[in-house]
Formats: sequence, structure tokens, C-alpha cells
Amino acid sequence: MTTESRILDLIHESVITRDPAGIILSWNAASEALYGWPKTTAIGCQIDDLLQSRFAAAAPDRDLMAPPADWEGELIRVTANGTELVLDVRWQAERDATGAVLRIVETARDITERKAIDDALRLSEYRYRNMFEAMAVAFWEVDFTQVGAMLIPLRDQGVTDLRTWLLANRDFVRRTMERAIVLDLNLNGFALFGADTRDAIIGRAIADFWPPASEPVYIDSLVATMTRQPHIVSETRLNRVDGEPIDVLFTVSLSENNRKRGVMLIGVVDISARKQAEAALQRLQAEFAHAARVSVLGELTASLAHEVNQPLAAIATSASASMRWLAAEQPDLDEVRSLSARIVSDARRAAAIINRVRAMAERRETERQYLPLNQLVAEAVAFLDHDLAMRAVTLETRLASELPPVLVDRTQLHQIVVNLVVNAAQAMADSPTRHLCITTSLAEGAVVLAVEDSGPGLPAHPEQLFESFFTTKSSGMGMGLAICRSLIEAHGGQIVAANGAVGARFIVTLPITPRS
Amino acid sequence: MPNRPLIAIVEDDDSMRPAIAGLVRSLGYAGEAFASAEAFLAGDVAARARCLISDFQLPGLSGLDLADRMQGVMPVIMITARTEAGLDARAHDHGVLCLLRKPFEADDLADCIRRALDNGAQAGRH
Repeated sequence: MTTESRILDLIHESVITRDPAGIILSWNAASEALYGWPKTTAIGCQIDDLLQSRFAAAAPDRDLMAPPADWEGELIRVTANGTELVLDVRWQAERDATGAVLRIVETARDITERKAIDDALRLSEYRYRNMFEAMAVAFWEVDFTQVGAMLIPLRDQGVTDLRTWLLANRDFVRRTMERAIVLDLNLNGFALFGADTRDAIIGRAIADFWPPASEPVYIDSLVATMTRQPHIVSETRLNRVDGEPIDVLFTVSLSENNRKRGVMLIGVVDISARKQAEAALQRLQAEFAHAARVSVLGELTASLAHEVNQPLAAIATSASASMRWLAAEQPDLDEVRSLSARIVSDARRAAAIINRVRAMAERRETERQYLPLNQLVAEAVAFLDHDLAMRAVTLETRLASELPPVLVDRTQLHQIVVNLVVNAAQAMADSPTRHLCITTSLAEGAVVLAVEDSGPGLPAHPEQLFESFFTTKSSGMGMGLAICRSLIEAHGGQIVAANGAVGARFIVTLPITPRS
Repeated sequence: MPNRPLIAIVEDDDSMRPAIAGLVRSLGYAGEAFASAEAFLAGDVAARARCLISDFQLPGLSGLDLADRMQGVMPVIMITARTEAGLDARAHDHGVLCLLRKPFEADDLADCIRRALDNGAQAGRH
């Protein structure tokens, strides 16, 4: 063994020498370990035949049949036991005085594993890119590093409730938006936001696409980042490149990795169509509800006219009496004073009745407030007192104390109660006893309103009662219960009909919505 | 003035009841008003009054029921906000002297009360 080969055996890397034809001249111990062929077998073989060499990357200018003498790059070779290896290879030629190649020294390092990791990474990146581009969702990648830098000092300044502080300091919020830069956007994002070119969005600040009204959602996202929530989803409205607003479902994914990089991945789903459909449905529902209210008012006309006629007649009577007192030889001014006071209060009473009717007849946007159910029931019943008296219906109310308020539209809730009560009163028209009981109570997560009558009870298929235009009565509001159900469901509640102790019982359940 | 004739009033509406009582006093009579027929019948006014003004529609005992009970006792003037046809005939059948529709003229009520008192005076002479 030559000194040279002894030294080569000490090297951990594979070192092979070969002549210009590729015949192996030397083969060190590391080569034996790497390729599995003993020195005795390898020496004298053609290297590329022995190891089935091929270039890792397609390289048309580098032909294995006429390999360059000096080269470095990646080769794939097969070992004695058939395993494929990826190798980082370096060839260096030793030349004679004329420049002709005498032999080539090759060193090789096994990079199969590193290669596999690189490939996996590249594949993962490729997949991510594909997904990013192909998702039916618009994705924004936004650089928040500058925003983070603006938020951190706030803590030192003693801001403990970040959300409240940001909501109160909208100028600051705007400034952070102007420093949040869009890094990337997928194809769907370009389409959704109406951008012709990448520059229309990428590199711009998100402030350009964020109307002030949608700032709270942005603030929630910032707070989520700072408080390390993993994910937020919210509905909001953003602006397209041309400034047109679009309704979107907005999601922010805040992985630990992205957080470290100061990057937020924002998903935006177009829900304009859904929103439009919802709005149209809501309008339709409001129109129906309005039509139904007007129809109930029509039915109540006789009783309402009667009711408003009472204070008017009283006013006329009191005024006549006043004039008589004033015409007397010795006017009794105390009588006149008390009659005048009566006139004023009766005029107010008449106005109150008219206001009640007007509120019911009005066509307006729904407006939900936290209101006590018992009070709403009392107001609705006041509307019907006279009608019930005319129909000789006795009314009993059993209202539970300390019910939590419900989030409802006042007029719509009045309408629900009025419809149920009128429905019950009409159902009892031919009954010997006409008794109506309204109950409120508390259930789990809900308040319950029950209206029970002493009428003939439910028809065979009570579900039909809630279908529009279904009615068991010869006269009456066919849409009453259908409208009731749609109004109740719009409030997230439900209504069911059942037979009670005597007649029918309608049970309305309204969810208790916690105040935000 | 103890010799002023006493007129009883039965009217369930909280506006109308004091208004009629006020008008009756302005006509120079004494008036006592009740919110229901039952309340009126429970006291001694039924024995002392010379005439009854009653609403047609009352909770409990109705105006016509009350008119039935007052036949031969005192004349009855009935007031109503209802407008349906046939009401006058029904009232007459129950012995009602006058049927006034709300809102009524004060003079009409004054006439009715005068007729009722004359009527009652005649009845009393029998």
C-alpha cells in the first residue's frame, strides 16, 4: 500500500482516482463504505459502469460519455446493494506538461438525506403555493412588522385594555393600517378585489382597502395577535381597488411561525351574494310583517274606533258642561277648572291610542333592543283590552318576575303577541267560556311566552296552522300565525302549538342573548 | 242643595264616567257615578235616584240587563258608542226611554233627563 493510499484511507470523504477513460485507479476506505464495493473489486472497473452514474439535474451540455475533466455537481449512483444515492461530487484533473489529462481525482459526499429534506420542502412550498393560488378564497399575506413595533410601546405607556384603547384612538389605528403592507395575494384575491395587475394591491397598505366602518374587525385582529389567539373569524365589509364595498367573511390565521415573522395570513370570502339574498329576504319579511300588521289593524278597526271615540265623546261632553257652567249667572269656576283638566287628559288618552295604532301601521326598519318581555306583553295587551272586552273574553296574565331582557324589535314583538291573542280570541268565538291566559316564564337560556285559550283546541295537523293562508276560522287573518312564526324565527326563537288543559296553547321561546 | 234630583250614572269608561257626571251637575242635577251595574246595585243610590244614565256595554251585567231590572223602578237613558242597526228597537224592547250615541249633544241629554223626570213623576203619581 502506497503512502498516498494510506493517507487517503484516513479521509472520511470518498476519494477515487481514475484515468481519462474512467478506469478506477484508486479507491479509498470511505469509498468502500459509501458504495459497498471492496477496493479489490473496484480498481480496474469503469467507474460509471460500476456505479450506474447519472446526472441529478438534466444537463444536456454535460454528457457522461464525454465527461469534462473538471466539474462539480450532483450525481446519482447506485451502491453494491442497489441503494440509490445522491452525491455532491467534485472532479479535478491532473495534467501533463502538454495539458493532457493524466488522471482525475474525485471526491464525493452523500447528500441523499439533505436532498430528501430539500425536496420535501420544495414540494411543500409548491403545494402551499398551489393551494394559495387555487383556493376559492382570497388570501392576503400582510406584513405587520411595523404595526407590531407601533403596538409594543403602548403596553409600556400603561395601556392595559388594548381593544378599548384602539377603539377610542382611531387615528392611531389608521396609521397602523397605513404601515401594514400587502406582501402577496392569490389569484382569487385579485379577482375579488378587482385588481388588473399585481401592483394594484401588492406593496400597498391595507388602509386603502379598509373602510373606517370596518375598523373594529381590524382592531379585533390586532388584539387577537397581541393576546395570541390562534384564529379569528368575522363578517365585515372591505373596499375593492375601485372603492366599491364588498361584504366578506374575514379570517385571520395567526400561527406562531407567522407571528414571529410579523406576517398575518388573511382569508377573505366573498359573501356579497349571500348578504344581498339575506337583505332581500329581510325586506320581504318586513313587508309581509307590515302587511300582516295592517291586516290585524283592519280587523281591530271597530274596537279601535270605539276606543278612540270614548275620550273624544268625553271631551265633547266635558266641554258642553264647561260652557253651561260659564253661562250660569254665577259661574262655578272650580267645576270649569276640573272639567278643563279632564279635557286635557282625555285628549292625551286619544292621542296615545292613535300613536299606538300608528306605530303598528308604520313601515320601518327593524330595530332590536334589549327589552323586558313582560312590559312588551303589557303594551300589546293594552292594545287589545277593548277588543277582548267586546268579544267578552276574560284575560289573565301570569308574568314571571325577574326575567332577563330579550333582544327584540318592539313593534314585531307587539305584533307577535297581538296576533296570538287575536287568534285565540277568534278561536273562542263560539265557545261558552272565553278565557285567555298569557304566561311568561324562564327556561334554560330562553324566555317563554305562552298563550292559552279555552276554545275548541287545535285542528288535526297543527303544523298547517303556521302555513300562510291556512285558517280554521271563517273570517280572520290567514297569515297571522305564519307571520308570527317568521318573526319569531327571525329573532332566533321558535313557536310550537299544542293542546292545553282546555283549548289550544301556543308557546313561544325566545333566546336570551348576552349583551356584548 | 238637597232638593236637586239625583241622577245615577253607570259607565265603565274612565273618561266618560266623570264627563257625564260633570255634565249632569252643570244641568243642575246631583249625579253619582259607578263603573259597573253591580257597583250601582250594591248601594242605596238605586233607591234614591230619579233616573239612570247607563252605558250600553258594561263588564259583567250589561246595560240592557240593568235596564230590565230598572223597569218600573226608574227611567233609563242609554248611551252607546255602537252604531249597528236595530239597536234602538232592542233598547226600546228593554224599556229604555232614550238611546244616545257617543258623542252626543249636551242638549239631547238634557232633553232626555227632563223627559225621564216628567215620566218618572207621572209614573210616581200612579
